[in-house]
Amino acid sequence: MDFRFTDDQLTLAETVRDYLAGTHGPEVLRRLDSEGNRDPAIWQGLVDMGLTALLVPEEHGGLGLGLVEAALIATECGRACLAEPLVDTAFVAVPWLVRRGETAELGAIAAGTRKVALPHVLNPWVADGADEFPGQLLQSVDPLRNLVMFPASGSADPHLLDLGALMSAAQLVGLAEAMLHQATEYAKVRTQFGQPVGAFQGLKHQLASCAVAVEFAKPALWRAAGALECLSSNASVHVSHAKVMATDAAIQTAETAIQVHGAMGYTYEVDLHFWMKRAWALAGAWGDRACHLKRIDQAVIGGTLPIGPEHTFA
Amino acid sequence: MHLEYTPEQQAFRAEVRAWMEAHVPKEPLVTLECREGYDQHVEWERTLASGNWGMVTWPEAYGGRGLDLIQWLIFEEEYFRAGGPNRANQNGIFLLGPTIMEFGTEEQKARFLPPMARGEVIWAQAWSEPGAGSDMAAIQSKAVRDGDHYVITGQKTWSSRAAFADWGFGIFRTDPDSKRHKGLTFILFDLNSPGITRRPIRQLHGDTGFAELFFDEVRVPVENCLAGEGEGWNVAMATAGFERGLMLRSPGRFQATAKRLVELYRAHEAEAPPAAREAVVQAWMQAQAYAWNTYAVAARIMAGGKIGAEASLNKIFWSELDRAMHRTAMQILGAHAELKRFGNGQINQWLEGYIFSLSGPIYAGSNEVQRNIIAERLLGLPRVGAG
Ligand SMILES: Cc1cc2nc3c(=O)[nH]c(=O)nc-3n(C[C@H](O)[C@H](O)[C@H](O)COP(=O)(O)OP(=O)(O)OC[C@H]3O[C@@H](n4cnc5c(N)ncnc54)[C@H](O)[C@@H]3O)c2cc1C
Repeated sequence: MDFRFTDDQLTLAETVRDYLAGTHGPEVLRRLDSEGNRDPAIWQGLVDMGLTALLVPEEHGGLGLGLVEAALIATECGRACLAEPLVDTAFVAVPWLVRRGETAELGAIAAGTRKVALPHVLNPWVADGADEFPGQLLQSVDPLRNLVMFPASGSADPHLLDLGALMSAAQLVGLAEAMLHQATEYAKVRTQFGQPVGAFQGLKHQLASCAVAVEFAKPALWRAAGALECLSSNASVHVSHAKVMATDAAIQTAETAIQVHGAMGYTYEVDLHFWMKRAWALAGAWGDRACHLKRIDQAVIGGTLPIGPEHTFA
Repeated sequence: MHLEYTPEQQAFRAEVRAWMEAHVPKEPLVTLECREGYDQHVEWERTLASGNWGMVTWPEAYGGRGLDLIQWLIFEEEYFRAGGPNRANQNGIFLLGPTIMEFGTEEQKARFLPPMARGEVIWAQAWSEPGAGSDMAAIQSKAVRDGDHYVITGQKTWSSRAAFADWGFGIFRTDPDSKRHKGLTFILFDLNSPGITRRPIRQLHGDTGFAELFFDEVRVPVENCLAGEGEGWNVAMATAGFERGLMLRSPGRFQATAKRLVELYRAHEAEAPPAAREAVVQAWMQAQAYAWNTYAVAARIMAGGKIGAEASLNKIFWSELDRAMHRTAMQILGAHAELKRFGNGQINQWLEGYIFSLSGPIYAGSNEVQRNIIAERLLGLPRVGAG
C-alpha cells in the first residue's frame, strides 16, 4: 500500500507543467481567441514532447504509459487552459481504442497526424469533431472550444464515459489550482484602504476554503485514476466521485476568484475568464453533476459498494 | 501508486479485527464527559493496553509495537469498524506523547511514555486561559523558579477531562518580563499536587467534559519541564501540529459515521428531506477523500516528508465534515432529533454527536485561525494588519 506517485511520474508532470508555463501563457490564449483558436505549432510542440504517444502501446510506436500519468498531465493541461484537443485524443480516445482492440490509427495518433473526437450520448456536442462529424456548429461560452452538434451515431459505452469524466476531473483540478493562484496573486498586489486586499480576512478565508476544496478533490482524482487504470470493479464510482469533487472545487474557486478580482474579474481584460469558462464547460461535459451523483448514490445508498472504515480502498 | 495491502498488512488487519471483535464492549459506554463514563473509558484504555494496542506506532520500549503509519491506519480502521470507544487518553497519546518523543530527555521518555501507553496515567492539556484562547501568546499564568522547583500561580480553563485526569501539561510564563511568545515554558504537572483546585465546567450537553484549573503556588520539580526554559512556544507549536495533523482524528472515525448515516438514511428514506440524499452521498465522498488524503500523507511521511501548515487543511475538512454529517442526521431524524433517548430507550447518539461536532471547528485551533494560517503560510497572503 503506497498511495503516492513515483518520482518518474512527478518528473513527467513537472516537465509538462514547465513546458506549458513557458510556451502557453495567457498571451497565447488571448492570441488564439482573436486569431482563430487552433495553432498547429502548439499541437506540434505537444507531439514533440511525446504526449500524443503517451498511452499508445509500445508496439504501436507509443510510450505505453498509463492513466495515472495521463491524469497528471491532464491536470497540467487544465492549469494551462490548453485548447488543443490533446486530452480528448490522446487520453480519452486512445485508451478506449486500445481496450477495444482498434489499433489501426494508433500509430498516426502517436505521430500527431491524426486527432480523434469521440461522440458520447451524454454529450450534446462533439468537441473538435467538425471534421469527422460535419453538422451544425455550436458556440460554447468558452471561446477556445469548438463544438459541433452531437451526431446520430454516438457511443453509450460506460467505459468511454469513465475515461472522458476522469480526464475532465483532472483538468478541473488543474483549472481550480490555476484560478486559486491567479486570485491569490491578484489579492497580493491590488491595494485598497492602504493595504493589499489579500490582507482582509473576508478574502483570505474564502481563498482558504478553496484551498481546502481543491486539496481534497485531488486524492479522489488520484484514486479514480488508479482504479480505472487497473479496471477495478468499482472504477466507475471512483470516477464519478472524482468528477463531482473536482467540479465543485473548480466552480467554488471560479466564483471566489472573480469576487477577489472585483470589477476587473468581470471584464474580458483579465485572463481569469478563460479558466472560468473552461471550468463551466467541463463541469457539464462527460456526464454532468447529476449524472455522476446518481452513479455514486446507486453504489453507496443502493448498497452495491461496500462502505465503512475497513473499505477505504474498495 | 500501489493500492493493494501486502499479505502482512492483511494478516495484521485480521489480527486487529479478531481482537476488537472479542474485546470492544457490546453496549456503547456512558459518555466520556462524566465520572461514570470516564471510569468506563479508562477501564477500556487498560483493556486495550492488555492487548498491547495502546499506541501501536510507538517503539516497543515505550509500550508500543513499533508499527508504521499504514499499519496505524489499518488499526484505526478496524478500531472504528468495531465501534471502539473514544480514547480517554487522546491528549496524552496523540499530543503529548509525540511531543515528548521529539523534545523529551531519555529520562522523561522512560518515565512518562510507558504509563501513558498502558492507560495508567490519563493526561489533560492545560493551555487555554480565560484571556488566552485563540491568542495563546496572551498566557499569563506564571511559573517562578525557586531552587529546583517551579512555583505555579494562575488559571487555566476548558481543559478536557481535567476534572478526572491524573496529570496535565501546560505552558506557563517563566520570564515575568517577557511578552507574547517569548519567556514561556512547557511544564508537566501532577493534577493532584497541593495548590491545584479543579472546577468542572458543564458543557453544552450538560456533562462536565472539561474543567477550569486554579494554581495557587503549586510546586513542580524542574525536571518536569520539557525542552528547557523559554522554549514553551516552539514545543507547543509542535504539539499543535500533531493535534491538527495526522493523529488526533483518523479517517476511520468519519468513515464509520458516514456509514451509519447511510444506514440511517435507508431506514428513513420515505420521510427524509430531499436535500438529505445528496448530503448523505457527500458524507461518504468526503470521508473517503479524507481517508485517501491521509494515506497519501502517511506515504509521504514514511518516505521522509513532513506535514506543515497543510495540517490546517485537514483540521478544517474533518471538523466541518463531522458537523455536516451530524446535521444531516438531525434533519433525517426530524421530530425525533431532540430526544435524548428514543422511545425504545436507546441513546440518541446522533444528538450527542451533533452537539460534540459543534466544538470541532472551535478546539484544536478554531477554523478561522486555521483559515488565517492557510491564507498566510500556504497561499502567502499578507499577515493580518500588514500594510
Ligand atoms: C470541546 C472543547 C475542548 C477543549 N479542550 C481544551 C483542552 O483540553 N485544553 C485547552 O487548553 N483548551 C481546550 N479548549 C479550548 C480551545 O483551545 C479554545 O476554545 C480555542 O483555542 C478558541 O479559543 P476561545 O474559545 O477563547 O475563542 P476566541 O479566541 O475567544 O474566539 C472567539 C471567536 O473569534 C474568532 N477569532 C479569534 N481570533 C481570530 C482571528 N485572529 N481571526 C479570525 N477570527 C478569530 C474565533 O475563531 C472564534 O470564532 C477546548 C475547547 C472546546 C470547545
